Amino acid sequence: MELVFLGFNLYAWITILTVLTMFTVLLFTKLRADLVFLGAIAILFVTGVLNAKEAFSGFSSTSVVIIGVLFVVVAGLTHTGVLQWIVKHLLGQPDSYSKAVIRLMLPVAGLSSFLSNTTVVALFVGIVKIWSKKLGVSPSKLLIPLSYASGMGGVCTLIGTPPNLIISGLYAEDTGITMNVLTTTVPGLFCLFVGVLSIIAMHKLLPDRKAPESAFESTSEYTVELLIPSDNPYIGKTLNEAGLNNVRGGNLIEVVHYDKSVSTADGEDLVMGGDRLIYSGQIDEILDLKKSHGLVNADHFVFTLSEVDTNRQLRTAYVTFGSSLIGKMIGKTSFEKDNGLVLVAVARSGKRIEQSPREVVIQAGDTLLLDCPPKKKLDISSLAKQLHFFESDQVPNIGRKTFISTTIMMAMVVLSALNVIPLLQCAFLAAMAMLIFRCCNVDQAMKAINWEILMVFAGSVVLGVAIQKTGIAERLAFGILDVCGTNPIVVMTAICFVGTFITEFISNTAAGAMFFPIMYQAAEKLGYDPFPFLVALMVSVSSSFATPIGSPTHMLVYGPGGYRFSDFMRIGLLMNIIILAANIFIVNIVYPLTPLH
Amino acid sequence: MNIEIKESNGGYNATLFGWLDTNVATEFLEDLKTLEAHADKAIELDCSKLEYICSLGLRGLLKLQKLSVAQGGTLVLKNVNDEIRGILTLTGFIKLFVIR
Repeated sequence: MELVFLGFNLYAWITILTVLTMFTVLLFTKLRADLVFLGAIAILFVTGVLNAKEAFSGFSSTSVVIIGVLFVVVAGLTHTGVLQWIVKHLLGQPDSYSKAVIRLMLPVAGLSSFLSNTTVVALFVGIVKIWSKKLGVSPSKLLIPLSYASGMGGVCTLIGTPPNLIISGLYAEDTGITMNVLTTTVPGLFCLFVGVLSIIAMHKLLPDRKAPESAFESTSEYTVELLIPSDNPYIGKTLNEAGLNNVRGGNLIEVVHYDKSVSTADGEDLVMGGDRLIYSGQIDEILDLKKSHGLVNADHFVFTLSEVDTNRQLRTAYVTFGSSLIGKMIGKTSFEKDNGLVLVAVARSGKRIEQSPREVVIQAGDTLLLDCPPKKKLDISSLAKQLHFFESDQVPNIGRKTFISTTIMMAMVVLSALNVIPLLQCAFLAAMAMLIFRCCNVDQAMKAINWEILMVFAGSVVLGVAIQKTGIAERLAFGILDVCGTNPIVVMTAICFVGTFITEFISNTAAGAMFFPIMYQAAEKLGYDPFPFLVALMVSVSSSFATPIGSPTHMLVYGPGGYRFSDFMRIGLLMNIIILAANIFIVNIVYPLTPLH
Repeated sequence: MNIEIKESNGGYNATLFGWLDTNVATEFLEDLKTLEAHADKAIELDCSKLEYICSLGLRGLLKLQKLSVAQGGTLVLKNVNDEIRGILTLTGFIKLFVIR
């Protein structure tokens, strides 16, 4: 006899518990997302919810393979300077904020409809910051629009964002009908149009915040810690005699001695090797002092100045969400030693922190001024999870290959849009062409494939299968129909509404995979073709505007914009509602509801 | 008490001992004043029984050293053990004292 509780059988309950546990773990721990998804699949497989074929279906899913191959295509575009060319020629010098928003959001959306949103935003962040300075606009007024534009642009094609591929892939598996690569273009463009107008109309809700690294440009906005090596010529002299007490444009706050005792800066104090001098003031003045007085950065003790690499350089980076540094003092971790970096100064929301930088408890979005090894020796990619560096290392030359890679990309889109060659084959051909024409080398292509993301996508597909197989989707669909009645537009709106808010907390792809069966079942139960319902779902699961954790691109702009969590909510909640309304409106016009025969 | 001072042959011999940390450093600096008053004489500090010296204590010794040089006296550190030598090396003070 089958065990049934609240309408769900044992397998359904195992699935529900697994999904809930998974999201709790993803929300409250720093475990890698791919491991969490793999763990969930393992539980569903071991407990018998899924058989072997189903449990590993995600790994052979066409949509997941397409995403993997597209990483290579994008690598080709990135390494041949397509993004740089567009940035250089499109931003220009607009004379008003509204025009600046349009000049920014349209190209970003256009690029994001073909490229990874994260890649596009990562490149634009630095450029927008410089651009905003030229325009005299605070970067915080432009960086949220930048991130929103990439999200809305991604929706415009099936290849623009992974949830679109996942939902269309699942649709193809269920119905045998392949969606056109431009299925979402008209609804996406309409939502983008509404989104751009909304941003302009609501621009007062965007914070006018100082750029975080401006803290490193102006007086008295930072704190720097420097160490006296044991062979320093000023040892034994007083701070006043050594000229270490008064710095132009700043001052010595305190001295920490080798025995950890702290003394407030008294000019008659004797200079001792191992002293850590905490200064606040103008960075260039302090760095001049560092040079003229043979001081070193205070990461570890050095006996002589010759132990320090003189080719090192200062670079600015932002602490990413999910960084393992959050909640810790850098001085108490091995981070500096492991990566050959030294923390020189910390700023938060554009303000100096009144503490020794290495004793500051790090928060997401903090701006760190780091003393780094020469560029060639610093592996930024291995630090990507912890820090986002302000300047990009990869600035390729624009030339013949820029044209070749663009042609390959356009050919891929056109051929698949016209159904000449299916998207999967097109993507493979494009990736091969990128390699053959040396738009990127094999090494760059392999490095471009983000296996963690692919595993999450595959895991999302498998969870979707479990939710569908165990009848959860069907029961939830019935539940929604019970609450919302039988009006298809109300049902579509309700599911999209929930999808929009769920995707604020989980990955868009996971939300897409999970809501696919629910939306599909609900449409069928109502007696309608699920197609328009699913197009609306694609737009809604990619419309996460209200939290910085809603999208990786929001996280990329969070630090550079000097934002707070609430900044996203203030404008994002309204954007969620506006885009939802625009989405339902346009989808029902472009793809009118058709009853099933 | 981390110091014992004895007058000898017109100069002063002092023995430092124990764990001279920040808790006892103020008292130690007070005791050093006896030697500071005779900085023009030959002063020998025996460090063989000194286990540790904090930054405040070390600064007191350097102050005495400077005073001694200024007044034409001498200050010598004797029997410096590895622990104290390590601290003197780290702080760079090893070059400022005469050590025997």
